[in-house]
Amino acid sequence: MDATLKLWMVIFAVGLLNYLSRLSFIAVFARRSMPPLLARALRYVPAAMLTALVLPMIMGEATAGSAMAFNPKAGAAVLAGVVAFYTRSTLWTLGTGMAALWALQVVS
Amino acid sequence: MESKWFTMARRHFPHSATHPAPRQGAGSIMRRLLASPDFRAGFVEMLPACLGLIPFGLVCGVGAAAAGASWLAALGMSAVIFSGAAQILAGQMLAGGAPFAIIVLTCSVLGLRFLMYSAAMAPYLKALPARWQHALAFLLTDQAFAAAIRRFDAKDDPHGGAQHFLGSGVALYLCWQITNMIGFFAGNLIPASWSLEFAVPLCFIALVAPLLRDAPTILAALVAGYAVVALGGLPMKLNLIAAGVIGIAVGTIADLARERWTRR
Repeated sequence: MDATLKLWMVIFAVGLLNYLSRLSFIAVFARRSMPPLLARALRYVPAAMLTALVLPMIMGEATAGSAMAFNPKAGAAVLAGVVAFYTRSTLWTLGTGMAALWALQVVS
Repeated sequence: MESKWFTMARRHFPHSATHPAPRQGAGSIMRRLLASPDFRAGFVEMLPACLGLIPFGLVCGVGAAAAGASWLAALGMSAVIFSGAAQILAGQMLAGGAPFAIIVLTCSVLGLRFLMYSAAMAPYLKALPARWQHALAFLLTDQAFAAAIRRFDAKDDPHGGAQHFLGSGVALYLCWQITNMIGFFAGNLIPASWSLEFAVPLCFIALVAPLLRDAPTILAALVAGYAVVALGGLPMKLNLIAAGVIGIAVGTIADLARERWTRR
């Protein structure tokens, strides 16, 4: 497939499916209540999906050898997680996390 | 009889009773919105969150450039998809040569969280006209959702709340397009030593960490985190979707088990 065509197809397919997810219960199924099991499962989508998305960004392409070495991103991420848990603020999380990473990079 | 006729007339000419003008132009709608204190409050209250999204938007623009997108396609990604997580993932998978179907599948599972936001938002938006519902659904993002729920819960005023939501959504949307474009064109000017790409996991940590307050959610996150690393050998980032599904299943089962346990 031509790369440009593929890119635009991805844009419109992902955009459309995302929009349908956003629209679903607001407009399409507005008269229906959500099946209880689906409601229960959806509660765990952000925690599971976003953790699975984030962890490789922090660990990098970790191999057995490099996993032993100190990873400044892991330390900064843990600290940012604690700040996010208590403040619930994106700005504080971002500020602490970036500052911690820069400090740890200077130290190591 | 008369009242029935009146109801019918109002249904067919909903504006006739209150607004003599048959149809309003986009300019007048814009002016009315800008004059609305709720719209302006929503816009202004979202600005600190926009500040936090600047590095995320820049990284998304850089990611689109790295995936070989033209500036128009990069703008398409931010304007049509309008989800940083999906854009980053789609960019990485395109650059890695993953097939179309796998990219769309993975990004859609990631987008399933919008189903939950949509269901949570629906009761507040029930009274609104369809075009408001369609517009607000398009602007439903992680950040806008959090702000809108807070506002709807604080005041029992669906129309003011909707204008507030629209204001915050428009602020986020504008900020997102601008930062993505700056990232696309000027991303290579940012020194690598700043590690700006680390802002992306930090934005997600800001979303996830506050959720980790009950056992099933913590378990779902731990299992998904373990699985994504353990399954790291899978091609085309299939480990991500597999880990997500396993985490969701474990969280749901733990939730059901906890309920059964406490009922006894």
